[in-house]
Amino acid sequence: MPEPHEPAEGAVAGTGMGGAMDLAASEATTLAAGEAGAGPGAGPGGGPRGGPSAPARSLWSDAWRDLRRNPVFLVSGLIILFLVLISLWPSAITSGDPLDCDLANAQKGSSPGHPFGFNGQGCDVYTRTVYGARASVTVGVCATLGVAVLGSVLGGLAGFFGGVWDAILSRITDVFFAIPVVLGGLVLLSVVTSNTVWPVIGFMVLLGWPQISRIARGSVITAKQHDYVQAARALGASNARMLLRHIAPNAVAPVIVVATIALGTYIALEATLSYLGVGLKPPTVSWGIDISAASQYIRNAPHMLLWPAGALAVTVLAFIMLGDAVRDALDPKLR
Amino acid sequence: MATPASRATAATAPPPASTLLEVRDLRVEFHTRDGVAKAVNGVDYAVAAGETLAVLGESGSGKSVTAQAVMGILDVPPGRITSGEILFRGQDLLKLKEEERRKIRGADMAMIFQDALSSLNPVLSVGDQLGEMFVVHRGMSRKDARAKAVELMDRVRIPAARERVTQYPHQFSGGMRQRIMIAMAMALEPSLIIADEPTTALDVTVQAQVMDLLAELQRELHMGLILITHDLGVVADVADRIAVMYAGRIVETAPVHEIYRAPAHPYTKGLLESIPRLDQKGQDLFAIKGLPPNLMDIPPGCAFNPRCPMAQDVCRIEDPPLFHVTYEGLTAERRSACHFWKETLRG
Repeated sequence: MPEPHEPAEGAVAGTGMGGAMDLAASEATTLAAGEAGAGPGAGPGGGPRGGPSAPARSLWSDAWRDLRRNPVFLVSGLIILFLVLISLWPSAITSGDPLDCDLANAQKGSSPGHPFGFNGQGCDVYTRTVYGARASVTVGVCATLGVAVLGSVLGGLAGFFGGVWDAILSRITDVFFAIPVVLGGLVLLSVVTSNTVWPVIGFMVLLGWPQISRIARGSVITAKQHDYVQAARALGASNARMLLRHIAPNAVAPVIVVATIALGTYIALEATLSYLGVGLKPPTVSWGIDISAASQYIRNAPHMLLWPAGALAVTVLAFIMLGDAVRDALDPKLR
Repeated sequence: MATPASRATAATAPPPASTLLEVRDLRVEFHTRDGVAKAVNGVDYAVAAGETLAVLGESGSGKSVTAQAVMGILDVPPGRITSGEILFRGQDLLKLKEEERRKIRGADMAMIFQDALSSLNPVLSVGDQLGEMFVVHRGMSRKDARAKAVELMDRVRIPAARERVTQYPHQFSGGMRQRIMIAMAMALEPSLIIADEPTTALDVTVQAQVMDLLAELQRELHMGLILITHDLGVVADVADRIAVMYAGRIVETAPVHEIYRAPAHPYTKGLLESIPRLDQKGQDLFAIKGLPPNLMDIPPGCAFNPRCPMAQDVCRIEDPPLFHVTYEGLTAERRSACHFWKETLRG
């Protein structure tokens, strides 16, 4: 009868879990002792966490706990929070109007009330840099959402159902992978006359979804082969339930990681396209447009280039760092 | 249907009233890049309510594939059921629509897998997974399902069920996880359970507890149990009947004590002789020579003939049907797919 053996089994489990707890505790100490700037892969060891006494934790709450202690995440998170806030309410930190320009001030350096100086058209560089965040963040976030949703739905379904649809989708993604982004942008966006951010976002989604779709397909195929999916099926779960409840939560992590890193590259791509004159167009305020306009005066008035370019670099870096931190937190194998 | 005449007579006999599941001449192939693997080649077996059938065989003998075909969770493609019938309470499951089969899975027949850690979803709490059975099949609310989950965990004797219901699979020990798997399979009180090597991943003391629990719940609910295993020790304790599989066929089926007393197939004999015994200290362990056949190229005649110490010319030419084994004192049905079952029986 099972009863008498029960304590023995519990004891074995207790020892194992206890070991994991100790590890987690020592890790916390190391981090507290200051591991600032540890970069990607911060935090030693790991393994399954949580003992019988700990509250129930899932992959997600575990990841969140890891993230909160990761300086890379904290720094990049703060930068991104700041960017989002100023793109929502730019007037909070600047009273100027980015389109209020006086040619008399063209190329002037910094002066009281105008810390970053003026650009070639006599517009305040500080105000334009602040307002430029909106275009970058909008393009980055919308393009990433679009890419993530389209890519994971198509890739996930192809991975789950396999067969002909999978083969067709894989060939389509091959085709899209073969299109050079900048060349594609020059061709497709040069025919667009709209002044809004949507054509640029649309173009990024069009070219970006195959990347996510491949990753989603791969991770769905991996998750599909897990015994618990077979077990769910053997206990009567429908396709939709298996896909949404058992496969998706176990397959979504790589998609989130790649999407976060891609967000930074979309912002850079928007600037590239705007620089080339096929992305956003004036009067939209964008770092790419300003960088493009300032590049010819780099020797006379470098401040006109440095501020928007610096803002762009910090933004892209912040998103890529965030992606790294999220990857470290979600992928226990990298610990 | 490509049923050999000799076996057709056995298969068409009407099942006894209590028969819960009957598999008739099941054949499954896997189409792979390298060719067609014939994983199951005409399996017949039957399980009655309250009966335990142990399906015994090496890896690749087709025991798990047969179970997957019964459950309807075979991967199609590459798998393909080329012929046969799976009668569950007299109804051929292979003729049902997928949606109808899905409703049977979990509610009327359930499966327990080998490795409970990988059979439980790591991102869902065990309560959610247990409760899911009631949400899917009974349309229960989350709250009621949660209460049911606690009840089930109590029933499989998980201590502090109320507190542990929100925990995740990795927070349980191996034995506890297997209990949770059993609880999931039992949740809707199915009439048939297929347990695919339920104790292989557990250590020996826990194995006994889990088997006891399974046997107890089976008695309580009067379920049919198909126990897939390669562990002859487990079989002796709990099974009523044994079906020994080799190369996708049943080679011997008999009441459990009869088979241990005197095997009627050289393969079964080899399996029994290869159990290490305590009085064998210092001697070489017995092993059946050779390897199981390649399923893409099963030898002609009896599939076991290249490894069989008793093989004669007839074994290399003629595939033996499942002969009725009879002798004095045998009350239940016993069969052997060996031309020389009489000689084997005599030892």
